[in-house]
Amino acid sequence: MSLEAVAQSLPALVDLPFREGYVTSIIYVSLYVSVVAVTLSTLFSIPVALAMGFTDFPGKQFVKSVINTGMGFPSVVVGLLVLFTVSNQGPLGELELIFTREAMIISQFVLATPPITAISLAAITGVSDNVREAARALGGTRLDVALVVIKEARYGIGTAVLAGFGRAISEVGSVLIVGGNITSSQGISKTRTLTTAIQLEARQGQYETAMILGAVLVAIVLVVNGIVVRIGDTGPMDR
Amino acid sequence: MIRLSKVTHAYGDVPVIEDVSLSVDPGEVVGIIGPSGVGKTTLLRILALFVRPRDGTVELDGESVWSVEEGERLALRRRIGMVFQESSLFDATVARNVEYGLRVRQGWTDRLREQLRSIAGRNGSWDAVDEALDLVGLEDKVDQSARSLSGGEAQRVSFARALAYEPTYLMLDEPTSDLDPRNTGLIEEAIQEARDRGIGVVVATHDMHQAERIADRVGVLLGDGLTEIGPTETIFENPTDERTRKFISGELVY
Repeated sequence: MSLEAVAQSLPALVDLPFREGYVTSIIYVSLYVSVVAVTLSTLFSIPVALAMGFTDFPGKQFVKSVINTGMGFPSVVVGLLVLFTVSNQGPLGELELIFTREAMIISQFVLATPPITAISLAAITGVSDNVREAARALGGTRLDVALVVIKEARYGIGTAVLAGFGRAISEVGSVLIVGGNITSSQGISKTRTLTTAIQLEARQGQYETAMILGAVLVAIVLVVNGIVVRIGDTGPMDR
Repeated sequence: MIRLSKVTHAYGDVPVIEDVSLSVDPGEVVGIIGPSGVGKTTLLRILALFVRPRDGTVELDGESVWSVEEGERLALRRRIGMVFQESSLFDATVARNVEYGLRVRQGWTDRLREQLRSIAGRNGSWDAVDEALDLVGLEDKVDQSARSLSGGEAQRVSFARALAYEPTYLMLDEPTSDLDPRNTGLIEEAIQEARDRGIGVVVATHDMHQAERIADRVGVLLGDGLTEIGPTETIFENPTDERTRKFISGELVY
């Protein structure tokens, strides 16, 4: 099922205080930006966490500190830095990304990467040395040992990805700065997400709309947290 | 034959194994006895080609293990199994654990095919897995989670896991130290069965009675190396080394 179809099916709303297609387009943009950002972030973070978990190198503790600091990095500052990067005078100015979903993806990527890397790293380093040794003793190559470790850490890695998604979709500061909270003249979201829409509607006194959007956002976050809790428990066994 | 010649090893500046020479043939059980902390585990890890000793040579069927390329060494290492003192089962079913050694010996295409079959819910079964589990009396646990096993069962699965790919040599590090008499008896029976199949087994143990029960030859590892190695009866009845005699009789306490 496509993201658009998911977004269409989410709000079963009647007599809404806003135009048709407004909420679904906002949900779509929110999900699209967060899913793409978190996918890219995962593809980047897991190899980094594996490399750090399997090797010792000078400055490893420093890199860990940078990642941990990144977890608490203020999102508005990230938004500001991405804005400078994609603005006309910035290094990516020629790509004309300012106030686009792509710019929002970049800022969410920056925000989601530290938690995904840090939690994955904790999960990978938490795998017992005995398990690594056993894989080697049974004839495994280095790659086999790495695969065993990923498999043992699968619940932790899953939690990391979903935690990154939770941070991305709940974020308001940076997407407001780099996305601009824009809709088309028909009121369809271009770069407006659930969080930025809530902020705007509340500021304009449209509390009913803000509450509905808030409920949708909370529902999405609850579902994601439910999945995190679920995979944190014992996962399915495979033979 | 695995042969260690004048092997010495140390962790940092602390010597652990000094000047040890030892050989193990297929189809025999060699017991390594000695008090805790004298380097039994290190000796086993050297025999399993896990650890490169600081000095001395390690040969497997005449091949100097640490002089060959890594790929060749992997092939040599795959002829040796090792069971650790602490349970090290993977978080998967018993079957998945026991077949691991067989799977890593497959090519990537076959492994991918197996994986796809597994995802599709059609799991192949390995005769060697059933046979190895049968040997340790756990054939009925094949689809059970490894996490749900008792300590004794987990150790027996570890043993089956090392046997399934039919190694030529098997290193067992205190395999029964935390087990009850029933599980100990089952492991000891499995060791005898492995020997009967032509596998050379080395068992490091602090339990002298166990060594006396199961080993064809016994080596005594004391603080400064292997003081004596010989037929089990000779070591226990008529040791030539004075420290060995004191250790066997309980006069030499560490």
